[in-house]
Amino acid sequence: MKWSSWLIRFFLERMQRLLWLVPLAMVGLFTLIRIAPVDPVQAYVGARVALVGPEQRQAIATAWGLNDPIPEQFLRWLGHLLRGDLGDSMLFNASVSEVIMARWPASLSLIGAAFMLAFVVGTSLGLIAAAYKGRWPDRIIRAFAITLAVSPGFWLALLFIALFAVSLGWLPACCSAPPGLTLGEVTWGERLRHLILPAATVSIVGIAPLIMHTRARAGGFLEGAAARHLKAHGARDLPLLLGPGLRHALGPALTVHLAGAGELIGGSVLAESIFSWPGLGEATVRAAKGGDAPLLMGVALATLAMVFIGNLLADLAAHLLDPRLRNRPLGEARRRRWGLSHESGSANMTGGQP
Amino acid sequence: MLRSLLLASSLATLLCVSPVVAAPPLVLAVGGEPEAGFDPIMGWGRYGNPLFQATLLKLDANLEMVGDLATSWTLSEDRLTWTISLRQDAKFSDGSQLTAEDVAFTFNTARDAGGLTDMTILKEARAVGPYKVELELKKPQITFTSHLVALGIVPKDHYGANYSRHPMGAGPFKLVEWREGEQLIVEPNPYWHGGTIPFPRVTFIFGDEAVALNLARSGAAQLVAVPPTDADMVPAGMHVTHVQTVDNRGVMFPTEPAGGTTDTGAPIGNDVTADRAIRVAINQGLDREALVALALNGHGTPAYGPVDGLPWDNPDAHVAGHDVAAARATLEAAGWQDEDGDGVREKNGVEARFPLVYPSSDSLRQALALGFAEQLRALGIIAEPVGASWDALARQMHSSAVVFGWGAHDPSEIYALYHGSFAGVDWYNPGFYRNPVVDAHLDAAQGSADFTSSLQEWKAAQWDGTTGFGAKGDAAWAWMVNIAHSYWISDCLDIGPLQIEPHGHGYPITQGLASWKWTCQ
Repeated sequence: MKWSSWLIRFFLERMQRLLWLVPLAMVGLFTLIRIAPVDPVQAYVGARVALVGPEQRQAIATAWGLNDPIPEQFLRWLGHLLRGDLGDSMLFNASVSEVIMARWPASLSLIGAAFMLAFVVGTSLGLIAAAYKGRWPDRIIRAFAITLAVSPGFWLALLFIALFAVSLGWLPACCSAPPGLTLGEVTWGERLRHLILPAATVSIVGIAPLIMHTRARAGGFLEGAAARHLKAHGARDLPLLLGPGLRHALGPALTVHLAGAGELIGGSVLAESIFSWPGLGEATVRAAKGGDAPLLMGVALATLAMVFIGNLLADLAAHLLDPRLRNRPLGEARRRRWGLSHESGSANMTGGQP
Repeated sequence: MLRSLLLASSLATLLCVSPVVAAPPLVLAVGGEPEAGFDPIMGWGRYGNPLFQATLLKLDANLEMVGDLATSWTLSEDRLTWTISLRQDAKFSDGSQLTAEDVAFTFNTARDAGGLTDMTILKEARAVGPYKVELELKKPQITFTSHLVALGIVPKDHYGANYSRHPMGAGPFKLVEWREGEQLIVEPNPYWHGGTIPFPRVTFIFGDEAVALNLARSGAAQLVAVPPTDADMVPAGMHVTHVQTVDNRGVMFPTEPAGGTTDTGAPIGNDVTADRAIRVAINQGLDREALVALALNGHGTPAYGPVDGLPWDNPDAHVAGHDVAAARATLEAAGWQDEDGDGVREKNGVEARFPLVYPSSDSLRQALALGFAEQLRALGIIAEPVGASWDALARQMHSSAVVFGWGAHDPSEIYALYHGSFAGVDWYNPGFYRNPVVDAHLDAAQGSADFTSSLQEWKAAQWDGTTGFGAKGDAAWAWMVNIAHSYWISDCLDIGPLQIEPHGHGYPITQGLASWKWTCQ
């Protein structure tokens, strides 16, 4: 089958999925926001309740279009969306796209850094654990993975702050840059220093599954016929894994990791509020508390797009790294991929047909 | 004449200034980030100190109104038109002149905007000269002065859709950079009419409370707001200041007998709290000092009314409390007896028992509700504390006692809480309290010829010698505590005299920011 025709069919299939997924998500979310017991006007007025009278509250509700029936509000929002306009955030008094664009780079750098950190740390530890299977490095790494898997992210974040920021004073406890400096005055080195703790916190969610997955995958490879043959000729485990075994282990690891991108986004919301990181997470929490429907919908669409792209990349990466997947009909390839994400499935795959 | 006076006074200020100490950039962590940006028309600056914009009047440390942009302000005979003369040396931070046109534009735009500035009372603002404005109201309302104090004036020629994120005004500071959710950097406005500011730059750090504490501990911030639980663990080089406030918490009582329902079907009234004797006895018996110690770690003051210590507070209306004997006597005299000896009083077959609702998300209000209920047992009254969501609370607040919190630099708040016309309207006067004499005092206050003469009517509404909403009169509420706001302040920073702060811990401390001084070399 030709490359290009495969790619086109692949994208068409995905677009089809997007066509029913997006409207379903939008209607569901809008309904949830509107039946939530949050009065947006009350949330907006907050403690100023004595200074903003009933007439002014009406004026605010009218300005936001809250007096119209809910289906009408939704249709109006949809109409704007079709013209490429995400509407205006009530809380932030700015267009939703502006609010998102202002915070997007910070969130993206945090999630991106965490993504890479988790991948590098998770896969390397997984490979080492596989190479020393059953011996002490493996046991330590497995214990580490299990500890990470059961530790709540916020708790680890507080631990990091207490240790690295307060006790040792090595790393800053907050923010994306030193206080009191404008963006132009901050050096790249300073920014990286500020990124370390938040990125480490967010990456935690991704590390444990990657370690275990890579370990199982690499272990399966080492037990396969090809590896046994090479070992009989004197090759050792770790060089084998870093050489021919790497391609075998990394592809599925990347797939698992990309497919889990949604969890990283969720984790970033928490890390952003703990480290006062000026990203989308903080804004999303405020929007949810304030019943700011347009902003929440905008953020949800952006997140949906990101998770979707993550999954898409995961599939693409899997196909690119594993020629066997490309050469099968699409439906079968998909079933194959799902088999991959289970450890048992991956062990079967490594059964050893060269 | 006026001009020469101004000149003389500014010369005097110049001569009095002590040798200027080079001050470092200042870093503050006091919260207060306005999500909607720095547009006064949409509500920025309602808690005072709009930073970038100048206001017509401002409140000094004693909460007296003094001129800022305004050099004189007078109310017409019919109480409908304010005539305001402006200073002629006020410039926006781009160097352009601030005129009456800008003031009229600001007020008229605020009236028409659906934001947090409630200017519905304004009929029209008119520039009647280059430096003279008339503000015409729809009906007399003396508390309109709070807009003269709070509404920052925006430049007519630069006001537009992106103003809130690129503010510009005639205030003491200009915006350098706002990284939303993280920090705001401002620098002195070189054109400001109020003098020079010693700090080359001031940075406001936003975000979690813990962030502020860590910044102070590492010496990176010079002033931070701290929660009462952490307040006493002061880092080296700083001291703690507990600022007195009207950030109060009190128990609101339904004052009507049970039976009615609102339009939405929520029950109105409570037969126990409708009896004035119950409410008065609670006010007499309550040990507020104990509540301060219990719920606030001692960082607060007893609250006797909604406006303790403000210019419109009437100390004669206060009842000291902590007098169980007097409370019992009041109950006995009204016929509340414990006939069956179960520790709870009854009258005509009704037990002295009522629900006391607090928002379950607020641990402070929970602690206060439990302490309040415990103290009432000694009087033979049972308050049953119930935690509820705000939504559920809104349905129960007309028939149950509720722990609420208020506090503003504006007497219109007591109008909203106690005037009969606000009975059952939104969150105001949920107990349906009505007293024609109190209403008359409140209306007379709003119709006063000037703010000073309104003070006596505000006070009379609390207690006029025969009646009032205060504890000596109808005792419509039992106020419990005023929460002190705690701050860690660098030992090198002199922030001058402080106002009694309103509801809202943090940003109000920056009220006098432009006159803060650095005292270290």
